[in-house]
Amino acid sequence: MSTYTIPVGPLHVALEEPMYFRVQVEGETVVGLDITAGFVHRGMESLALQRNIYQNITLTERLCSLCSNNHPFTYCMALEKIAGIKVPERGEYLRVIADEVKRIASNLFNAGILAHIIGFDSLFMHVMEIREIVQDTKETIYGNRMDLAANTIGGVKYNLSNEKIKYMMKQMDSLKKPLEEIVDIYMNNKLVRARTEGVGILPKEEAIRYGVVGPVARGSGVNNDVRVKSPYAAYDKIKVNVNVETGCDVRARAIVRLREIQEAINIIQLCLKELPDGPTCIDHLPEIPAGEAIAKSEAPRGELIYYLRTNGSDLPERLKWRVPTYMNWEALNVMMPGNKVSDIPLIISSIDPCISCTER
Amino acid sequence: MERNIQKDFKEKLTQAVGEGFSLRWETDSKGVVTGWCRLNDHSQITNVALIVSRSGGRVITITAYKTKDAQQRDIHEIAYHFDLDGCTCTVTIEIPRDSSKVNSITPILKGADWTERELQELYDIKVVGHPNPKRLFLDETIDTGIMNKLIPLSLAMNGATSKTLWEKVFAATSKEVDTK
Repeated sequence: MSTYTIPVGPLHVALEEPMYFRVQVEGETVVGLDITAGFVHRGMESLALQRNIYQNITLTERLCSLCSNNHPFTYCMALEKIAGIKVPERGEYLRVIADEVKRIASNLFNAGILAHIIGFDSLFMHVMEIREIVQDTKETIYGNRMDLAANTIGGVKYNLSNEKIKYMMKQMDSLKKPLEEIVDIYMNNKLVRARTEGVGILPKEEAIRYGVVGPVARGSGVNNDVRVKSPYAAYDKIKVNVNVETGCDVRARAIVRLREIQEAINIIQLCLKELPDGPTCIDHLPEIPAGEAIAKSEAPRGELIYYLRTNGSDLPERLKWRVPTYMNWEALNVMMPGNKVSDIPLIISSIDPCISCTER
Repeated sequence: MERNIQKDFKEKLTQAVGEGFSLRWETDSKGVVTGWCRLNDHSQITNVALIVSRSGGRVITITAYKTKDAQQRDIHEIAYHFDLDGCTCTVTIEIPRDSSKVNSITPILKGADWTERELQELYDIKVVGHPNPKRLFLDETIDTGIMNKLIPLSLAMNGATSKTLWEKVFAATSKEVDTK
């Protein structure tokens, strides 16, 4: 049978951002893949070196949209490590709440896109409608539907009154039932199963070899959830139940994301119940001495790491970050071969790619 | 468990490189351990990658950066951030001023593939032995080692906030019309 190379992207209806794939096919079956990146490379690591440490909080939050909160959050943690700042306990809980709210919205978006790709558009619209509950919550609490601007050095910039706590509790409650319904559809609906089961297999040993992270790793039975492995903020006080699936396919990755939404709701409600009194942030503008630090967090797509070097001036000497999607691209070389051409967008979407994050 | 990982790592490192390294462990208020290691000989990085690989660890990312040596001359250093079951260990090497070369660890730890290609194009440090050393993000028209240069923001933005950009666009368009 003849081998052909078909181009997918850089602009493609199933891709939210540009990436170029050259897919080698034999008939209808994928046999190889070549990825060309760089279409949204903005040189942000260079920009970060031309902005002072405070301006970089704003810059890093604008890296992407769906996991925007994790960037200033992790960057601030790196600064706090260098300056030896202890974040007030209430601030740590509020950081967790902001992070988990973003996780729900991000994972629901990916679940919706999966439904859209497999042609189940009524499910797509249903999921996006549920997501609106989270978007409304973000707008009410943080004043914005995407960038929360919640984090600052030494704590957070928002607080929750009793009235807002009650509101958030109610919003989280209202997510539970519709979520159960859609989880059931993703797990048991015949059409969804037919398109997602056994598709885009990433065996456990390959997941370890490629060093994949987040729901992609957990869908292949590898648990490297930073919240458990290296706790930060208030995660040392909160038990996180990590969902690990062993299906290694598109379905397993989708189930992990959906289960993580349910766990995020539990975490938020627990934080709201146990929210300690006290300040939300340190009360002074800290000086950052020379030093180096790493900080990690579990973004919706997995482990995010920031490495920061300072030299005592107000400009960083080096600020480097590696986003979760960065590790997951190469694993497509394992997931793709053997699958049908019609599954290409579905498999790409199953790593929940964030290209703005990858390229910076 | 974590203590064993640290002890293990130190023992294996001593076996591999002798006394040619410094290593310290820090524990934060949440009990998370972070390691900071510096190798005297940059070529030993492949031995460290082997230790990490055999311990079931992975490479998280690699950071190249410009800094100053003891004589205040510009030098490159590379920090390798490894994960050992939740414990992050950063291993730093200095790249000799005259060579700008480093051995690839991708054949040992597959996870280093993209990040080595990226540091090669951004800092013009040749990664020797990389299985796929082509450009990752930057177009061929952009100079290798762009992060070594200071490019003022006004220049980087290419006049995007002023009329300069449109002057260039109009000039290019009128040329196209003339040639037709």
